[in-house]
Amino acid sequence: MLDKIVNGLEAFLFRQRLVVIFSFLLVTVFLALQASNLKMDAAFVKNIPLNHEYMKTYLKHQKQFGGANSIMVAVEDTSGDIFNANFFDSLKKVHDQLFFIPGVDRAQVKSLYSPSTRFTEVVEDGFAGGPVIPADFSTTDAGLAIVRGNIEKAGIVGRLIAEDYSAAMVSAQLMDFDPQTGEPLDTLAFAAQLEEQLRGEFENEHIKVHIIGFAKMAGDVAEGAKGVVLFFLIAILVTAVMVYLFSKSILLTLLPLACSLVAVIWQLGLLTVVGFGLDPMSILIPFLVFAIGVSHSVQMINAVRRRVGEGETTKAAAASSFRSLLVPGGIALLSDTVGFMTLLAIDIGIIRELAISASLGVAVIILTNLILLPLLISYCKLSPSVKAVKKADGNDIWRKLSCFATPKYAAVVLSVTAVLYGVGLYEANKMKIGDLQGGAPALHFDSRYNQDTFFITDHFSITTDVMTVIVEAKPEACTYHDQLMQIDEFEWQVANTPGVESTASLASVAKRVNAGFNEGNPKWQVLPRTTASLVQAVGRIPTTSGLLNSDCSVMPVYLFLQDHKAETVEVVVDKVKTLAATMNNEQLTFRLASGPVGVMAATNEAVAEAQLPMMLYVYGAVFVLCLLSFRSLRATVAVIIPLYVVSTLAQALMTQLDIGLAVSTLPVIALGVGIGVDYGIYILSTMAVKLRDGVPVQDAYYQALVERGSAVIFTGLTLAIGVSTWFFSALKFQMDMGILLTFMFLVNMLGAIIILPAIAAVFWRKPRA
Amino acid sequence: MLFSMLRFVVVSFISLSLFISAYAQSVNEIALQPLADQSLVFDIATFSNTAIAVGERGHLFKFNGQWQQVSSPTVALLTNAFLVNADQGWAVGHDATILYTQDAGQSWQVQMSSPEIEKPLLDILMFDEKSGVAVGAYGLFYRTQDGGKTWQSEFHHELLFEEDVAYLEELKAEDEALYLSERSTLLPHFNRIVRLNSGALLMVGELGLVATSDDLGFTWQKQDFLYEGSLFNGVVTETGVYVMGLRGHLFYSNTGTGQWQEISLPTQSTINGGIVLNDSTVRLVGNAGVILDVKSDGEAKLVAQRQGENLVSIMTDPQGQLWIAGTKGFVKLEQE
Repeated sequence: MLDKIVNGLEAFLFRQRLVVIFSFLLVTVFLALQASNLKMDAAFVKNIPLNHEYMKTYLKHQKQFGGANSIMVAVEDTSGDIFNANFFDSLKKVHDQLFFIPGVDRAQVKSLYSPSTRFTEVVEDGFAGGPVIPADFSTTDAGLAIVRGNIEKAGIVGRLIAEDYSAAMVSAQLMDFDPQTGEPLDTLAFAAQLEEQLRGEFENEHIKVHIIGFAKMAGDVAEGAKGVVLFFLIAILVTAVMVYLFSKSILLTLLPLACSLVAVIWQLGLLTVVGFGLDPMSILIPFLVFAIGVSHSVQMINAVRRRVGEGETTKAAAASSFRSLLVPGGIALLSDTVGFMTLLAIDIGIIRELAISASLGVAVIILTNLILLPLLISYCKLSPSVKAVKKADGNDIWRKLSCFATPKYAAVVLSVTAVLYGVGLYEANKMKIGDLQGGAPALHFDSRYNQDTFFITDHFSITTDVMTVIVEAKPEACTYHDQLMQIDEFEWQVANTPGVESTASLASVAKRVNAGFNEGNPKWQVLPRTTASLVQAVGRIPTTSGLLNSDCSVMPVYLFLQDHKAETVEVVVDKVKTLAATMNNEQLTFRLASGPVGVMAATNEAVAEAQLPMMLYVYGAVFVLCLLSFRSLRATVAVIIPLYVVSTLAQALMTQLDIGLAVSTLPVIALGVGIGVDYGIYILSTMAVKLRDGVPVQDAYYQALVERGSAVIFTGLTLAIGVSTWFFSALKFQMDMGILLTFMFLVNMLGAIIILPAIAAVFWRKPRA
Repeated sequence: MLFSMLRFVVVSFISLSLFISAYAQSVNEIALQPLADQSLVFDIATFSNTAIAVGERGHLFKFNGQWQQVSSPTVALLTNAFLVNADQGWAVGHDATILYTQDAGQSWQVQMSSPEIEKPLLDILMFDEKSGVAVGAYGLFYRTQDGGKTWQSEFHHELLFEEDVAYLEELKAEDEALYLSERSTLLPHFNRIVRLNSGALLMVGELGLVATSDDLGFTWQKQDFLYEGSLFNGVVTETGVYVMGLRGHLFYSNTGTGQWQEISLPTQSTINGGIVLNDSTVRLVGNAGVILDVKSDGEAKLVAQRQGENLVSIMTDPQGQLWIAGTKGFVKLEQE
């Protein structure tokens, strides 16, 4: 039945060769045009699990309390002292410039120059106060002296002014939509504006501008991702050399490369058609598509070459190779596609995008490399040198390798595998979730962005590692002593958790205000029991402080963390959950979480939760596909066991290399399994036929190696080369992904030629009668 | 047989002790927090080999080479501590709380707690093991004669302002309830009470309150003082007494009852506490982290200023090491 379809397809395609090739050309031109419109795209919401419990809290209160999408600009005076006219002029210009960049929430721009920056001081008959920068401010020595005094009274050192007075901060919240156009905010364009209009404009030998925040990071990541063009060229070059060494023919080198590039063009073009942009993370897909394309092409030219060597015409060889490879190749690619599709189950936008674009790309290869390639080859006149491929091509090596299918060697291989698996499983269980390093994990330690982050966290008492616990209550809750006391107690308990540097809430600020009302006497730093005094204290705190909403039914507690390493976040989240469980009542609900680290916590949890289902889906899919194609449970198990051992080892490698399970590394296992299964399918599909004919295991394996062995090894190397160029990426997560994928591709290949035959030796101990 | 029994005993002993230590730890965790010695600490009291300290959230500390937090029976902010000898001591604070220890600050019991009056106690002075007074906001004044088993409230109308006296008289005739409620808020805060060299008591407080008593505080003589801002502390030296308060105000008097002279300080920050360093120098601490030395000839200089914290009191531990207590906890002063 399947054979009939394949034969029919072959007859049709090879009869209409020119028409088919011409339509491929048309589609390629169209999709190339589409691909040229492809834009880099890195929206914030794509990176977060929107349906996670924490993110619902985050989205619910985002409008009132600002989100996690903030930007901080530290303006540094290189002399180490900000009190000079030049600095204050620059600071004012930076403030104004940032204020006017579209996408900035103007109500939330804060610096020395914002009207909400005020000081109060206690005098004998009450309070005195005013803006820190007075209306009649002039940058004279006298004017600067007044501002210096006001800064100290306002208690903004560490927040708006560096602790050593070497820099001042301008901070802003970003909106998700551009208010003028109503379009989603173009993060990358915004980042470019920051770079040009702030750093470009104002940085000079006296003034340094440090910029951090998600938008800036996304911009820098996109900038770093541009390096991949070079990596792509290198990958093509190295692959070309490899293919030439394999095929010994320029024509048979160019055709597979061309067909694989066509697949890449189609994939990129289709992205635009379905309305996606190219994200710094999914930029790996073209590499994969190219490498997978080349590896399948190699199977194709290998088959053609052998048939031509056996005396067939090139056209006939192409047609019969098409016939013999369409089913195993199709199934291999289909299982890749299904493997990628399982990533759709993960509720993080960017992983879904990755899943869709990878599935598209791999599906496209079925057309370009299993159909277009043999058609193109059929026009070639293969040179005698190609035909005269040595008959004994590596026969000795294959003979030796086939020993793995003998019971003696199989026992050794399986014992070693079992030990490796045991060690791997032990290490894999220690794998951490989330980011394991400080700074922006996507970027290298010495990148400008991370250096800016370190400057700001060193010189200011603020950190970008903020997690916000939202306290939901009934309206006017902040006028009740017992309720504020409970928030205060919660804050104190969390403040004493390792990893928490400092905290802020309405309760703790109200206590300080109360001390202020009592002549600044610290002994009055309490929440007053008298309602009138409590209202007086709370009433001094404006909603712009972000500590309460207008009827104080929502009061966030801000937790400033040491860093955002996975362990730190986990400890704090656990503590908050424990406290919330005992403290939540009908009056107050403590909810996780907002702030950048709140988002990270949600992402970590979503990633951790997604891991098991993802593995189940991807293995389930591979299992079903293998079962369908082999119609044998034994064969299916023989393919899957090596895969599983290798995935476990990959997780152990992550533990060893301090690579955490994150949004960027989660898909790697699925990709690795989806692609790694190809080797086993190719080897076993040949073996299965022989075994069914009663050939003993070792001979069956030997013949499979002769037919497919070089192609399988070559495929493993090509794929590994394609992704290994990423070791040199400016982006840390690409480096991580590169290391892991290279490992998965190489070791899965080894698994297919070493472990698989050993298992086969056990499963098919007695040849069929 | 014997061996296996022995092993059983050993194993159960080990597991039991593990259980106990785990249990003890969980109990401690509830009360003690690592940040306690870096949070608000208001007062340190020392007597021979004992030193104790008190702070916010009912935090209590005992000195044993370093400040160690001990379990507390309250969460109310504690403002002041007093040791009458090396074993017996008291602590006072918000919610009109009075705590008592008789084992050098290791364990504490509540002697009084009255959250409903919504006023804090700010200072306590014991004359001996049995008798003493505790004072606080809005003229709060308690006396014990039985070592704190009972505390009796006193109302010192002699410290009312003249215009308030007339107003209260009027009110008393009209509305007894309103009279009592008004009366409870008309006295100034009593911030600090100290014993002068003469044996008389000196009390300072809100709105330039300076008063003395020759009969252990049963009756008070209010002084006509030259400053109307709040005074927070008094430091008795061999020759006289300093009182100090809002916005860098410092005054000195030989007797504490007669002539006061103002000493100008190089700061406008509130002065909260002080200690006699030696014959000629008093060291003061205050808001905005100021640390000042004042010589007996009236010369004052800023010794140091600690950014971002308010300093409340200064004391020596039993080894003679100087400690400052403030809004960021304990500060060890390096000896110069």
